[in-house]
Amino acid sequence: MKRRSFIKKMALATGGVLAAPYILPSGRLFATTNPPLAEHVVLVLFAGGVRQQESVQQRYLSDSQKLNIEGNIMYNMLEGDAPTLKVAYGTTLPGGQKGGQPISKVLPTSLQKQGTLFKELRFSKGSTGHYNGLATAVSGNYSVTQGLKQRPLHPTIFEYARRFGGLKATDTWFVGNGISGSIPLLNHSNYEGFGERYGANFIAPIVTFGAEKYIKGFKIYHPDDELDPIHKMQTFLNQSFRLQGSHLETLGNTEEERESIKDFIRKTFDRLDKQQIAFPPVTDNGDNITIGFATEVLKYFKPKLTVINLNDVDVCHGNFTTYLGALHRADHGVGHLWDVIQTQIPEMSGKTAMLIIPECGRNLDHNPITDENDWFAYDHSDQNSRRIFSMMVGPGIPSNLTIGSEGNPVGDSSDIIPTIAELLGFKNDVLSQGLIDPVAKSFFDQI
Amino acid sequence: MNMLTFKVLPMKTFNIFFIIVLFVLVGCKDDKYIYEVNKVDILPNNADKNKEKTNEQYLNIVYANLYQKALSPDKLVDLSNVIQSIGDKQVAHEIIISKMMNDPDIKLPPLSEMKADPEKFIINTYKRFFVREPTQAEKAFFLNFIKSHPNITPEHIYFAFATSAEYDYY
Repeated sequence: MKRRSFIKKMALATGGVLAAPYILPSGRLFATTNPPLAEHVVLVLFAGGVRQQESVQQRYLSDSQKLNIEGNIMYNMLEGDAPTLKVAYGTTLPGGQKGGQPISKVLPTSLQKQGTLFKELRFSKGSTGHYNGLATAVSGNYSVTQGLKQRPLHPTIFEYARRFGGLKATDTWFVGNGISGSIPLLNHSNYEGFGERYGANFIAPIVTFGAEKYIKGFKIYHPDDELDPIHKMQTFLNQSFRLQGSHLETLGNTEEERESIKDFIRKTFDRLDKQQIAFPPVTDNGDNITIGFATEVLKYFKPKLTVINLNDVDVCHGNFTTYLGALHRADHGVGHLWDVIQTQIPEMSGKTAMLIIPECGRNLDHNPITDENDWFAYDHSDQNSRRIFSMMVGPGIPSNLTIGSEGNPVGDSSDIIPTIAELLGFKNDVLSQGLIDPVAKSFFDQI
Repeated sequence: MNMLTFKVLPMKTFNIFFIIVLFVLVGCKDDKYIYEVNKVDILPNNADKNKEKTNEQYLNIVYANLYQKALSPDKLVDLSNVIQSIGDKQVAHEIIISKMMNDPDIKLPPLSEMKADPEKFIINTYKRFFVREPTQAEKAFFLNFIKSHPNITPEHIYFAFATSAEYDYY
């Protein structure tokens, strides 16, 4: 018996020693709970508040301005002919009408045809504010008490991906269009058991690369002669401080990852000088500049999960014409992003799923503000602002499929999180935490 | 008369006696001194640094430490935005500090000064960045480090201090 017991214990101990190196931070031995459908996921927060009427419903000016002109101004994403009258959303040719030149199509086949469109879904709870919408989109929980200047109240998709997918910090990126509106807080929550150590790297490239005066040409220390001793001194100083029980939570970038981020920033400045950044053909607003820099993040890091936030359509509060132009440009940027992934990043081509969703909609009725065309502007607070759409494209996603309609809404804003989790292979882990909205379910379960 | 004398004298005597007894009992009482030491938890000298500096606090202090002058408000806003635009604050700090290290206006002690009296240099560096004296262990580490790394310069040491965790707290 003793011998048998000894052998049993030895076998268990050996198994433990062999398995220990493979145990993930989540405490599980295996990374996935369902087979992943894609190696990379890019979520575009098509944000700023998008009315269904001018986007998927393709009503151009007919709903908003009582002008009987319809048409599709998002033809990289959606199927449908562009408006031919009162074109004001394009670029301005010298001597031409302002905004009268529509931007050429980037994608030969629309994303609607390439993937699945959820034509009518709901932002079902809480206020239809930007930050609330964005926090819901990245956490899958409406957190109705969510405030500005406060991190998402529930774990974000980055934290799920890193904890259950075993991803390193530079595998997850949140690319913001700026630093206002609490955007930099969306890369992680402070939820117990999740938090900063599972957060994503954040960059607001317009701000970072707009600060040439302060950071361009920053010193690169020699890796062996300078950086190594510097790291040793930092380690000593930090360990000495940690000994006192100080709370030093970080994103968990390793020294190598930190150096790679610095290298990325330095090289991007160089590529900017050499005009090598893959900006969209039309880059006359912040969203498309952000998209251009986001493609640099994708090229350099090949992240497993990237979230890109756009926001320029928010100009709709005061200028409907510029809103139409921003919507047209956001579509242009998304088309360009998909094109770059497929044609310029071999490691991601054919292995990447892209999801697109506005964070909230906009009102049915206009406010009193008019623009240069005497068109009325729109805010976002009524039931119409709960109406949004979403689409996904990539491996394992049915093509040319439309789900839901105006009279038959299917899906919810909170569905994005289980959908991404399913794409990357950790859906059951996310669901078992019970921290997303009770109605949330993967888009794949609604097809 | 005798009766009167008899009555007055004992009363006087009694009063005097009473006062003497009172002095003996109260005035000449020995004081008992009990010497005690207040209970103090022994903590390291950086243990009370538990508040993270804001971006603005960090920038103002590091600029003053490196340039020996105040940071202008417009630079403060711009640099604070840079930190916010990069999710990993450590990376942002390292980029900003290494850019400053390229600036000829920065005030670093000369290498000769560090080599001439490394102990004094270490003490001054701890005081400048951490507002405290180094412990014996810390002093010993840096003395040994400077000795064993002949190529190390005040810039490298300042960079390590300015980007350390303790420097981010107060």
